Amino acid sequence: MGPNAAVVKQAELLRIDGNNYFKKNRFGAAIDAYTEAITLCPNVPIYFTNRALCHLKRNEWERVEEDSRRAIQLDNHSVKAHYMLGLVLLQKQELAKGIKELEKALNLGRGANPKGYMVEEIWQELAKAKYLEWERSSSERSWELQNLKEACESALKEKHFLDVSEMEGFVDDTTTSHLKQLEALERVFNKAAEDDKPSEVPDYLCCRITLDIFHDPVITPSGLTYERAVILDHLQKVGEFDPITREPLDPSQLIPNLAIKEAVEQFLDKHWWAYKID
Amino acid sequence: MTSSSAASRKNLSKIACNRLQKELVEWQVNPPAGFKHKVTDNLQRWVIEVAGAPGTLYSNETYQLQVDFPENYPMEAPQVIFLHPAPLHPHIYSNGHICLDILYDSWSPAMTVSSICISILSMLSSSTVKQRPEDNDRYVKNCRNGRSPRRQGGGSMMTKYDN
Repeated sequence: MGPNAAVVKQAELLRIDGNNYFKKNRFGAAIDAYTEAITLCPNVPIYFTNRALCHLKRNEWERVEEDSRRAIQLDNHSVKAHYMLGLVLLQKQELAKGIKELEKALNLGRGANPKGYMVEEIWQELAKAKYLEWERSSSERSWELQNLKEACESALKEKHFLDVSEMEGFVDDTTTSHLKQLEALERVFNKAAEDDKPSEVPDYLCCRITLDIFHDPVITPSGLTYERAVILDHLQKVGEFDPITREPLDPSQLIPNLAIKEAVEQFLDKHWWAYKID
Repeated sequence: MTSSSAASRKNLSKIACNRLQKELVEWQVNPPAGFKHKVTDNLQRWVIEVAGAPGTLYSNETYQLQVDFPENYPMEAPQVIFLHPAPLHPHIYSNGHICLDILYDSWSPAMTVSSICISILSMLSSSTVKQRPEDNDRYVKNCRNGRSPRRQGGGSMMTKYDN
């Protein structure tokens, strides 16, 4: 049997108290209020995420982890819980796991979800973590490639040396083919290093307003795609029209552009350097 | 502009900063023909040199544009004026203010410094007479510290130039 209505109401009042303390930066008092609410109703995920946020403000990472994990157990779709757990894991240097949680939070926060406002914040954290991870892993990869290339070159040289000593009459031919092999090797290794070489993000993956790679792309009836937060801002502050075609545009006409979202994910998956934030 | 107007300017928002950095990189790679950005470390104010297009009334003349970005650029148009001396043109006041709709009511955040520059150059190029706007004296007098030819108390605004 669940708690009765009076208890539920009491817990809700405590949550509101907690929120008021939080707004005044009185995190200790807020934590006490949420804790009381949890004692009354231990199955409400929001009490845990709210308390976790207070712990986060006080840099009490272990408690943030505890509360966000508990919230996820109660509601696996909690954007805030996955977000905070991701931050904890990054703090603990568990980069790969932290990235996974932030990605989950980002996917849950995107789209028609009213919590869309968190998307930017989550994206920033995710991008920071991914870029860091890329810096580490790409220098490892380039070191590995460099070693392999040197080994291949010296093996080819050895082979050439043997070939020359065996066939006395055709030295010129063997030398030409040897040089060609060295060139081909150079090409192969350059190709292998290409994905890790920062260059430009293709224009079709960038918003025409932010000029940045899409985080949460939405398409207008004109067929143009924009960053959700920014086009909403435009509709509110500048006017209700498509910024490029100037056709009338209402916020309700914006539709997630899933194809572009996937293309961005594919691109980022291959080119982590594109997570760089200026 | 006076130093007091510089002091009252707010810092650029994060979005504005990001976008301007990207515009600057793009400008360096691919500047609009006839324009030169004068390099400074001030992201919020660009000074750009414009060369009149060959075969127009302004060929062999160069002018300077000053572009000031508001805090929430690109949701608001930048303030674009000609520095002294401003070209003689029916839509450019002697104090450097430019009458161009995209800088005011027709602004769209999909426009860039580069696209503004192209519009201004085409406005210069299509001019058939070198003269000031009819209401120049009244406008400049009424304008005092104002920074743009938006409709203001006394000064009536001339017909807008549509590009």
